[in-house]
Amino acid sequence: MKNRLRVLRAERNWSQADLAERLEVSRQSVNAIETGKFDPSLPLAFKLARLFETTIEAIFTDEK
Amino acid sequence: MICSVNNPVQRRFIFRCWVSGGLVVLFCIFAALVFRLGHPHGILAYLVAALPALPIVWALIATGIYLDEEKDEFQRNMLVQSLLGGTGGILATTTAWGYMEDFAHIPHLDPVWIYPLFWLFAGISYGVVRWRYR
Repeated sequence: MKNRLRVLRAERNWSQADLAERLEVSRQSVNAIETGKFDPSLPLAFKLARLFETTIEAIFTDEK
Repeated sequence: MICSVNNPVQRRFIFRCWVSGGLVVLFCIFAALVFRLGHPHGILAYLVAALPALPIVWALIATGIYLDEEKDEFQRNMLVQSLLGGTGGILATTTAWGYMEDFAHIPHLDPVWIYPLFWLFAGISYGVVRWRYR
């Protein structure tokens, strides 16, 4: 699944570690999600959406 | 096995694993001394002989506790994949070894090696999983 995490993070000037701290996950988790190697669960996707004040669909797209 | 120890859940898991490993060694020494000096019989002999297995069971329970406590789903996923790799590795190895014992008459593999081998395979598997997600 593709996502816009890197862009959204860059807009806020957050590092992966900053985002990880806000999500209460490890930096490796953020990296794995951001690079599309790991798809987050629905609760984590909602948490991301709330954090970036947007919708899940605006962050993730169902493309390879 | 788990490199980052910033996470308190992981720290507790690693601590429990070390305690378990230490207890296995202590109980092995204790059982060896009891059998050398006391020559126990019957139920007592079975209980003393099985004593080193208790911390091993505890380590498996501790792994379950970790999986339950870990809120980071990615870390949990990596450990689960590693444990599956460990399980697959030990099943494949012991099955192949069993057939080789039967047909090729290689030396018998003592079952006490199964548990350390399982963690060896799980450790290798964890490295591979981490490499895949690098």
